[in-house]
Amino acid sequence: MLKNYLTIALRNLGRNKIYAFINIAGLGIGLACSMLIMLYVKDEVSYDRFHDNVKNIYRVVRQERDKSGKKTGNDPNTGYFQGPKFAANVPGIKSFVRIQSGSRDVKRADEITSSELLYVDSSFFSIFSFPLEYGNKLNCLKDPYSVVLSEEEAKKQFGTANAVGKIMQIKEDDGFKPYTVTAVVKKTPENSSIQFNMLLPLKVAAEQEQNPENWFNIFLNTFVVLQPNANLTAVQKGMQRFYEQDSKNAVKILTEKYGPMNNKTIYQLQSYADMHLSTDFPAQNGLTNASKPLYSYILSGIVLFILLIACINFVNLTIARALRRTKEIGIRKVIGSERKQLIFQFLGETFLLSLLAFLLAILLVQLVTPVFNNLSNKALSLSYLLDVKLISGYVLLFLLTGFLAGIYPALILSGYKPVDTLYNRFIPGGKNYIQRLLVVVQFALASFLIIATFTLYSQFNFLTHEKLGYDDNNLVMVNKQSLSKDEAKLFKTELMKNPSITGFSPKNGGQWGTVAKTSSDSTMQFSYETVDESYVPLLKIKLQQGRNFSKFYPSDADNSVLVNEAFVKKARWKNPLEQKLNFWYDNNKKYTVIGVVKDYHFQSLGQEISPQLFTMKDNGFGVAFIKIKAGKETASLDFIQKTFKRLFPLNPYSYTFKNEENLKNYEAEAKWKQIMLYSAVLTIFISCIGLFGLSVLTAEKRIKEIGIRKVLGASVNHVVTILSVDFIRLVAISLVIAVPLAWLAANKWLQNYPYRINLGWEIFVSAGLLVILIALFTVSFQAVKAAIANPVKSLRTE
Amino acid sequence: MIALKNIFKWYNVGGNRNFILKDINLDIQQGEFISIMGPSGSGKSTLLNIIGMLDEASEGTYIFQDQEVFRLKEKQRSQLYKDYIGFVFQAYHLIDELTVYENIETPLIYKDMKSSERKAIVADILDRFGIVGKKDLFPNQLSGGQQQLVGIARALASKPKLILADEPTGNLNSKQGEEIMELFKQLNKEDGITIIQVTHSEKNAAYGSRIINLLDGRIDTNTTL
Repeated sequence: MLKNYLTIALRNLGRNKIYAFINIAGLGIGLACSMLIMLYVKDEVSYDRFHDNVKNIYRVVRQERDKSGKKTGNDPNTGYFQGPKFAANVPGIKSFVRIQSGSRDVKRADEITSSELLYVDSSFFSIFSFPLEYGNKLNCLKDPYSVVLSEEEAKKQFGTANAVGKIMQIKEDDGFKPYTVTAVVKKTPENSSIQFNMLLPLKVAAEQEQNPENWFNIFLNTFVVLQPNANLTAVQKGMQRFYEQDSKNAVKILTEKYGPMNNKTIYQLQSYADMHLSTDFPAQNGLTNASKPLYSYILSGIVLFILLIACINFVNLTIARALRRTKEIGIRKVIGSERKQLIFQFLGETFLLSLLAFLLAILLVQLVTPVFNNLSNKALSLSYLLDVKLISGYVLLFLLTGFLAGIYPALILSGYKPVDTLYNRFIPGGKNYIQRLLVVVQFALASFLIIATFTLYSQFNFLTHEKLGYDDNNLVMVNKQSLSKDEAKLFKTELMKNPSITGFSPKNGGQWGTVAKTSSDSTMQFSYETVDESYVPLLKIKLQQGRNFSKFYPSDADNSVLVNEAFVKKARWKNPLEQKLNFWYDNNKKYTVIGVVKDYHFQSLGQEISPQLFTMKDNGFGVAFIKIKAGKETASLDFIQKTFKRLFPLNPYSYTFKNEENLKNYEAEAKWKQIMLYSAVLTIFISCIGLFGLSVLTAEKRIKEIGIRKVLGASVNHVVTILSVDFIRLVAISLVIAVPLAWLAANKWLQNYPYRINLGWEIFVSAGLLVILIALFTVSFQAVKAAIANPVKSLRTE
Repeated sequence: MIALKNIFKWYNVGGNRNFILKDINLDIQQGEFISIMGPSGSGKSTLLNIIGMLDEASEGTYIFQDQEVFRLKEKQRSQLYKDYIGFVFQAYHLIDELTVYENIETPLIYKDMKSSERKAIVADILDRFGIVGKKDLFPNQLSGGQQQLVGIARALASKPKLILADEPTGNLNSKQGEEIMELFKQLNKEDGITIIQVTHSEKNAAYGSRIINLLDGRIDTNTTL
């Protein structure tokens, strides 16, 4: 019997190539997407679980509460004290390791490069399972002048992986010092939150070990290993008790210095395995690849859309094609088949199709994995498949798809009465409500995704093209640690000798922030920038009131500040000029506001412009802004590099363009933009091949009607309209459903951005038109074919 | 073998009953060859379908081999039907996707017969009908007469006691038609198979042992030849 069914199924596929193609391709794409997402989700939840000890590894994290006990913030970072003090004094904690991120200059021959690295305690390798290629994991970090390299870094530095015993010149405060390579680590797994090329022993100066304020200096990550039988709650309580006891002295000192502390710190432990997907305490500060469960949810949601649409195609096409099979069903019943057997047969055919689609999906996954990896920032591969859980997941997916797509048609088809089907009394599907409903659902999903994509694109376009309030074109930033005023002056003089370089302004590196008293009782937070008088004109920032810093006012260098409009607003000043403020708490020195600059986007457009203050006080600069002439980029960059190397031979040289750096703020959006585009294209594609299949079958079903209409004198146009209008009506209904939902979703998403596009009608109208045009094109293709066919053929019976 | 008592069949059309069959009473003995005749719309095919259990009467009693058909459960009826009845259609109704051989084999598959047994039976029938050379062809590669021959071969494969034929020669030319009718006659005489055919042709009807004339859903005449 199986053979008979298989024969029929295969011959049917062979005879209905379009139908087979649509079903297999659609379902194959849907399955491939699901597989990729399953890989993605699996990777996400497997993060950091490769450590043998992972069940007992926790990160020490802090929750801040105000006096009333209300939570005011989460901070995953700690300082020098927490690790050693808790491990020594709280029962249940076996060991600890601190991880601090940093960068050091490394000299090789005459080349100086800046290397990112991690400072870690010597317990690092006994807590985390990073296998060593060379060296001894127990003592490789014991010596203060030892360095551990990744395999890749060892090859880069020494041309060989076996670098144990070799010497590296690493910069200390007083010049380059020799460090000995003690171990080389095998490539870290991709799904590790700890990624490194270089490890140095964490050195804590003796006076720091004695300084009680270190309970409150927070800048690194601390991990502890609990005893296997330790009670988590008891350990957390023990930590809290010990902290409150031990930090009393520090609290006293700090209160004397800065006034009473408003916040209370609650210590907690975060399971290492949970860290990767944690939104409360994300992996940061030397820990990488932090993710959010939301990503998995969104991707799974999209993929469910796609799979659902492919299954809908399947159901719709199978039912529509039933017309062709009614005769066979009737005959089978007449010659003795029971309903059960027919259900079995049709389910079997579905499974055969699913199987083919499944094979296609595996092929597709293999092909598109690189693209997907690029999108998802992962290094997934099909070899991940060699995992019992995942394989059983795929088999389940296959069975579920086959069953879902097959059971409804099987039930419908097997229910036909032979008398009806064999005597041509049968009009399959009647009004086809379910079929129509499914088309509507399908196109509603596709339209939703298209509108979402359009919205994302518009917002992205807005973020990357909106006027920033300053000029970031042809602006090169060159980093130089602790660039002094004199060095900056020299650098500027040398650079300005080249006519291609039109401007220069030094600025502090990174983002600095502090708190100031703006009146006797209130304080406010703000960013502050260390610049000189050339900064505002170089960036073409507009002045709203007052004046810029000037050489002609010598007191500017020490006493004057500029603020932005947001600062004025936050400080609630009516007349900002000549206002005095004091900050840094180091003395009672007052600074005078001499000017107000117009708000400009010094941060990403994803953030509201926050209060900002400029000073010329000599804090040391960290970066030079250099304006170059358009069209002279290569020569100018060359000149800048040469000048830099001549003036600062002991510093690593690196540069970025300011506008490129600005674009980096929107990498996440760029990525989601691409993901949404792919999803939308896929859903509309699968929906359309489904619609195409349906139109083929409808034209077939109505072939007699078309023949009669043509004999009675209907034009080709008229017939095309008749055949298309039904489908277009369905697509229109789906738009009516999708548009409000998409509007709500897009609005909700846009609320995340303080600066956003207006969600105008254009997006919806253009998305709607696009969907209708694509649908029309799909349907009319077949309709025209049917309309120009010779009616004589279709009207001849039997 | 067959007893129909007070059979009515109607459809509801716009609140009115549209009668197809009215008060049919009919007894058929094993071994008879009956021709049902009558103008279009007189209810011939419906009567045949009711006898063949493809359709149910709206009212009345139908006894087949001492069993009351309308009271049987779906499964029992299906069993009865599989064991005793073969169908032949005007439009042949072969499965287009299967070869001649496979078409004839299919009913045996539904009877859960073993593969070797099926092979023997199908080979036998192919021999008997002289279509061994055509066994791997598909229906659309055959002439109408040949297709009907396969249709009959398929009906016979499950060794039925009763063959129901709905205008079996309607789509054939006269020579092919004659051959088919001769075949029916032979099956009736030699194998003792009961045959009920619906036909328009007096000539074909004459092959049978009894002619039943229907008019407007009633039995008009019932003539034994």
